[in-house]
Amino acid sequence: MDSMKLSKDKLNSFVAILAEQKQLYMPQAEGETLKYSPVNAKVQPDLVFSNTAVPAKSVVFPQVETLFRYEVEKTDIKMPAGEEERVLLGVRPCDARAMSIVDNLFSWDVDDPYYLGKREKTIVVGLACQKPGVNCFCSSVGGGPASTEGLDVLLTDLGESFLVKPLTEKGEKLCQAAGEIFEEASSDDLNSAEKLHQEAAALISRSIETGGIPEKLPGLWESGIWKEVSNACLGCGICTFLCPTCHCFDIQDEIEGFEGRRCRMWDSCMFGEYTLHTSGHNPRPTRRERTRNRINHKYNYFVQKFDVIACVGCGRCISSCPVNIDIIEILQQVKEAQ
Amino acid sequence: MSEQFQPNVVAFLCNWCSYAGADLAGTSRIKYPHNLNVIRVMCSGRVNPLFVINAFQQGADGVLISGCHPGDCHYMEGNFYARRRFSLMNELLEYVGVEPGRFNMSWVSASEGAKWKDVVAGVVEKAKEAGPFDQFRRNKINW
Amino acid sequence: MVDLEKMRTIAKETVSRDDVRYLIGWRQGTYGFRVSPHFMKGPEEAEKLIFSPLCSNNLATYLTLTEKLPVPRGEQPDSRKIAVMVKGCDSRAVVQQLIEKGIERERVFVIGCPCEGVLDLKKVEEKFPGILSPVEVEWSGDKIIFTLPDGVKEVPKGEVLAKKCLSCRYPNPVMSDITLWDEVKSLGDGNYEDVKEMEEKNPQEKWSFWKDKFSSCIRCYSCRNVCPMCYCEDCVLDRLNPQWINRSANISENSAFQLARAFHLAGRCIECGECERVCPVDIPLMALNRKLAKEVREQYEFEPGLDPESKPFQSSYRPNDKEDFIL
Repeated sequence: MDSMKLSKDKLNSFVAILAEQKQLYMPQAEGETLKYSPVNAKVQPDLVFSNTAVPAKSVVFPQVETLFRYEVEKTDIKMPAGEEERVLLGVRPCDARAMSIVDNLFSWDVDDPYYLGKREKTIVVGLACQKPGVNCFCSSVGGGPASTEGLDVLLTDLGESFLVKPLTEKGEKLCQAAGEIFEEASSDDLNSAEKLHQEAAALISRSIETGGIPEKLPGLWESGIWKEVSNACLGCGICTFLCPTCHCFDIQDEIEGFEGRRCRMWDSCMFGEYTLHTSGHNPRPTRRERTRNRINHKYNYFVQKFDVIACVGCGRCISSCPVNIDIIEILQQVKEAQ
Repeated sequence: MSEQFQPNVVAFLCNWCSYAGADLAGTSRIKYPHNLNVIRVMCSGRVNPLFVINAFQQGADGVLISGCHPGDCHYMEGNFYARRRFSLMNELLEYVGVEPGRFNMSWVSASEGAKWKDVVAGVVEKAKEAGPFDQFRRNKINW
Repeated sequence: MVDLEKMRTIAKETVSRDDVRYLIGWRQGTYGFRVSPHFMKGPEEAEKLIFSPLCSNNLATYLTLTEKLPVPRGEQPDSRKIAVMVKGCDSRAVVQQLIEKGIERERVFVIGCPCEGVLDLKKVEEKFPGILSPVEVEWSGDKIIFTLPDGVKEVPKGEVLAKKCLSCRYPNPVMSDITLWDEVKSLGDGNYEDVKEMEEKNPQEKWSFWKDKFSSCIRCYSCRNVCPMCYCEDCVLDRLNPQWINRSANISENSAFQLARAFHLAGRCIECGECERVCPVDIPLMALNRKLAKEVREQYEFEPGLDPESKPFQSSYRPNDKEDFIL
C-alpha cells in the first residue's frame, strides 16, 4: 500500500475513527506526567511532545497485570478476559523498536500468552521524531528518528499534514478502514518526509560506537569501573522502570477477603531485594553488582541470546537519573577500560 | 447520606483501659452502636500508623484508637507517644483529603462505660456523616 | 564567597589524612546542567570537585546508603572516617542521623559549604533547553550567572532557584568540622504559605489534587532511596510478611505508600527537598513533608536536625502535648 497524506484538520476525525473501531491509546498527561492512556473519540489529539515520561511498553506490558483470579480454599482459577484490539497513536520510533526487541524475550523458550496476546492485538501507529532530546542516541544502537521497526504505520509531520505510511498488513487494514479521509501523497511529499527524517537524524547530538562492547563486557566482570560508576547510584528504579526495553517482573498474590488474584508487576534489578534469597543471601549485594548487571543485560546477555542490543537509545535513563549516571559515559568507560 | 448507610468503624482498644471500659459498658447493658470492629492491642502506643492506613485501605469508614488517660498508662508512657504520633497522623490524613471525623482518638478508662458509649456514638455518627470511604480503598482496583 | 581553590586544597588535605577513607563531593556532570556526586579517593582528584548552584544533591544520603558488607574473616573493619561536603540543609541531615544514631560522630568528617541556594533543574532546563555541553554556573548577589555555549546570561535568583531554597532558613551548615567560607544570609523565613493554602481547601478539593498526583506514582522508590533519613535496613515497603503495602501500583497502594513515607519522616524531615527533585513523575512530595514539619514546628516547637544531643521527635513526649483532637 502506498503512502498517503492526512491533512491536519482531519486529524480529529482520524482519531475519532480509530477510537470507534478499537481501544485507542494516546499520550495523556496524568498529573504532569505523559504516559499512554486509553482515550475516547472526543479527545483533542496533541502529538507535539519530545517523548512520554513513561514509555509505550506500559500498554503491552502493564506495570501491574492480573494473571488469574481465584477464591481462597477453592481449586479453580479464572482467567482475565481476552484482550480487545487496540491502537497506539503517536509512538516514537524508539519505543516501537523497544517492543520488537522485547518480543524476542517473551516469545523465547516459552511463549508468554499475556504479553504476546496484547502485542498481537496492538496496532502501533508511530510518529517520526523531529526534535530529538538532548540525550537521544538511537542512531548509535541501530535505530533512528524515523526507524520503522516495530511499527505498523509511520506518520511524518509535514507541517500542514501528516504523511501516512502503512508498514505492515495490520497497518494497511487500519488505514483502509479509515480510507476516505486520506489524500494521495505526491512524490514531493515523500521527498520532503525523507528530508525531514534526515534533518532529525542530524539533530541527534550524542553518540557512542557500540561495536565491540558486547564482546568486551564479559572480560570486565571484575573491573574497577563498576564500583566507580555505581558509587553515586541511589538504587532506585527510575532507570529500569522508565526504560522501554526493561521487562523484569515480580509475581505476587493479592488477597481481598476470600478473593485473590495472582498478578505480575514491574520489578527492577536495581533493587536489592530483586535478587535476595530466602536464606538472606544476596548474590548481588551492592549497587556495583546491580549496575554491572543492568549494563551487561542490555549490552551483553541480550546480544548473546538474541543478537540485538537491548537498548534503543531513548535517553530516558540518562535524563531522569537523579545522580547523573549516564549510560553513554559508562559505555565509553567500558570501551576505554583495559 | 441515606439513613441506611452503616459505617464500618475499626477500633483499636488498649487492653488495660479502653477494652475494659468497653467491657464495662457491655456488662452494664449500656446500648451503643454496633458498627464497631474492635481490635484489642496491649497499648495505644502499640498502634502502628500503618494499621490506620491499612484499615482504611481494607474497607474501614472510620478508625478509632482508644487508650488510657494520660498518666494512667499501664506501661507508664505508651499513650504519650501515641498521642504525638496520631495527632500528626490526623493532620496528615486531613491534609490529603480524608474527611475530618474519620480518624478519631479517645481516652477511655476502665471505669468509663458511659463515656465509651458517648465516644462510640459520636464516632459512628461522624462516619455516617462522612459516608462510605472510597478515597483509597483497595476494593479490587484494576482487577 | 565560594572559593574553589580553598575547597580543593582542603579536600586534598582531608583525603590525604590517614584516618579518612574517602571524600564525597560534587563534580561536573556528563552534560548540560547536571552534577554528579563524586567519591574522591586521592588528592589527585581534587580538580574535579566543584561547588555551584547546581550542586543540589544531598551527599549525606551516602553516609547511610553505602552498603556495609560483612568483613572477611581475619580482617578488621575499616574504621576510617568518611569526609562529606554539606550545604546547610545537608548538615541538618547529618545531625539528624547523629540524633538517631544512624551514624557515629567519629566516623564522619563534615566539610561545610555555606550555600546561597541551588537551582531547580526543571526551571533551568525549561529556560535554556537542549544544552549538551557542561555549563558553568555561579552565584552573584541576587543573580545567577550561566556561562552558556552562546554567551553569559544573568538570571534573577527567584526565577531559577529551587522552591525549598527560597524559604530556606539554614543556608549555613549547623554542624561542621571545617567551614569553607564565610556564612551567607538566609533567603527566607521558612514560612508555610503553600501548606496553609492547601489546608484551606475542602476534603474533595484536597483529595482530587492528591489523587491525581498519587496515581501517577510508578513506585520506583527513588524518593525513599535519595532521602538521607530513609535508611532502615529492612524497609516496611520491602517486607513481604507482613506485607503492609502491596507492590502493585494503583491509587490505593500508592496513597498508602506516600502516606507511610511522609509519616515516617514526621519530625525527622530536614526539608532538603531531594525527594521532590528526584521524582520522575513530579509528585510534590515536599508538600506532604512540609505539612508535617509545620505541625511539628508550630505545635511542638520542635525542629529536627539542629542539636545532636536532642531526642528524636517521635520517641519523646511532653506530658502537656496538645490533645485537642482527642475525644
